[in-house]
Amino acid sequence: MTGAAEFVLEVRDVRTRFGSAVVHDGVSLAVRRGEIFAIAGASGCGKSTLLREILLLHRPDAGSIRLLGREVAGLGEEEALALRRRCGVMFERGALFGALTVAENVGVPLREQTRLGDALIGRIAALKIALAGLPPEAGALRPSELSGGMRKRAALARAIALDPEILFLDEPTAGLDPLAAAGFDDLVRKLKALLGPTVVVVTHDLDLLWRVADRVAFLADGRVVGAGTMEELSRSAHPVVREYFVGPRGRGAMEQSWRRK
Amino acid sequence: MSAGIPSRDPPPGAGPDVELAGGEARCSGSWTAVQLHRVERRLAGIAWPAAAEVVVDCSTVEALDTAGAALLQATAEELERRGRRVTLRLRPEHQALLEMVRSPAPAGEGPAPGPPGPLAAVGRRALTALDEFLAMLAFVGRSATAGARSLAQPGRIRWRSVLHDVQAAGFDALPIVGLLSFLLGLVIAYQGSGPLARYGANTFVADLVGLAMLRELAPLITAIVVAGRSGSAWAAQIGTMKVTEEIDALRTVGIDPLELLVLPKLLALVVALPLLTVFSDSLGVLGGMVMSRSELGLRFEDFLDRFVQAVRLSDYLVGVGKAPVFAAVIALVGCHQGFQVSGDAESVGRRTTVSVVQSIFAIVVVDAAFSVVFSWLGI
Repeated sequence: MTGAAEFVLEVRDVRTRFGSAVVHDGVSLAVRRGEIFAIAGASGCGKSTLLREILLLHRPDAGSIRLLGREVAGLGEEEALALRRRCGVMFERGALFGALTVAENVGVPLREQTRLGDALIGRIAALKIALAGLPPEAGALRPSELSGGMRKRAALARAIALDPEILFLDEPTAGLDPLAAAGFDDLVRKLKALLGPTVVVVTHDLDLLWRVADRVAFLADGRVVGAGTMEELSRSAHPVVREYFVGPRGRGAMEQSWRRK
Repeated sequence: MSAGIPSRDPPPGAGPDVELAGGEARCSGSWTAVQLHRVERRLAGIAWPAAAEVVVDCSTVEALDTAGAALLQATAEELERRGRRVTLRLRPEHQALLEMVRSPAPAGEGPAPGPPGPLAAVGRRALTALDEFLAMLAFVGRSATAGARSLAQPGRIRWRSVLHDVQAAGFDALPIVGLLSFLLGLVIAYQGSGPLARYGANTFVADLVGLAMLRELAPLITAIVVAGRSGSAWAAQIGTMKVTEEIDALRTVGIDPLELLVLPKLLALVVALPLLTVFSDSLGVLGGMVMSRSELGLRFEDFLDRFVQAVRLSDYLVGVGKAPVFAAVIALVGCHQGFQVSGDAESVGRRTTVSVVQSIFAIVVVDAAFSVVFSWLGI
């Protein structure tokens, strides 16, 4: 495979403004096929907006976004649909459809995008539910009957329903207790090993950054202020990045990751 | 990093395929979800050889995803159930995927509970209706105690909310209530004018319009409009607050949701609905006057002369007096349905609809009860 195609996602010089507030002032990053890439940064630095732009849910004011080799801006409905089919998204608050059971939620992408029979769809949905770490009984429940952690797992099961090439996770561990969050780290690694997608994680969870991310891009002041492995970044001189490593929580997460090695 | 991960770019044109050759099923192409339905159907109708052992050769399958693996596994299980031994020949890189599809033993499809029989359905509905009725009674009771508490300490009443609700549910409803009442008066006068003119009883159109509007129609139409406008809005508002856990948040900071959300609405509507009814009375009679003049040539002065003789003060008070009761029904049903919302967006929609249907139903029932009582009392 050629060098250019190795990048499944390329964001170049993206600029976004909401009224007079500048969110992105020239954001550039590139994600290689098969890696777990994290976009980190403080709350309100435009991480989620960037994700929405990558997913064609919001149009940047300037710049280019290439997803799976296609320029995202100016795609027609058909092409956008074809591109979205190859992506799985887990939203921050799950965004499960409240009127459907968990199994039906996981089956929605399968029903919409394929013409498989009900029995096979049910089987695949049950598989993904198990893969996301939910008990089989959870399939028959409604999202409103699930706990927060289970809801995240159900959302993940729906995101991987079609074996996406790129899996986007928006704050996958937000709102989870540390144990459940650690469980989620392992889950992401396991999925990565089994299904082999490229994973793009938007997060400010330090443990997640240390434990699962191959490379990390730090967003601050509307641009990427540091990109690389966590080890590389720990030597960065940028004040925002340093804050992540020398702050009390940052140091704790770093020491933990050393101990684990 | 990316080494060892099979690229799953769908090769165009190489759809999944399966064919029987020499006692072996040979699978080829890319077995991925989007095109998989083709082989799914083919596999269902395939005539498997009668031999005890079936070989499924997948070594020429170019790409395999979970859906493809699940289909292979389902097919194998189906064959094994029929007493065959199945040998799957897989590429090494697809082995892990099939392992995963196999491991979580049964595809946990709990037997879906079938639809209940007709008798059970009737019973279930009756029980639900009873539960709803009891819950409504409990809600009325709790609102009454909260109201009594507030009346004992009037300082606790949220007057700003009351005023806001008077404006939203009362003042803002003036145009629609006015227009509907005017048209209603118009229609009654028009329908009455034919028969009355035949008997030469033109002036009695004032009796007809006056009594019909003031005693029955003005209070009813006002209450129905307000139930549709405000009762539903309140149900949706409280329901959404329930979904976003704002109601729980209120409780935890020590605010009684009944006191903050229900009592101001109740109070506001008890004030606003009688006023709206008076407005509706006037516009309805005006509509009747306009139609009488154009249809029967009855001058406004003559109409009003007869109107004063025909309509007693008690008729007017009977109509306006029903309004506070209707107001309580609308506010309590709307808020109660809001609190009944559980969980999801669909529930908000359902409860909003139910609030309108139930309050209009209750208004008509209460109105009928009033008629019975008034006829006993001879009013």
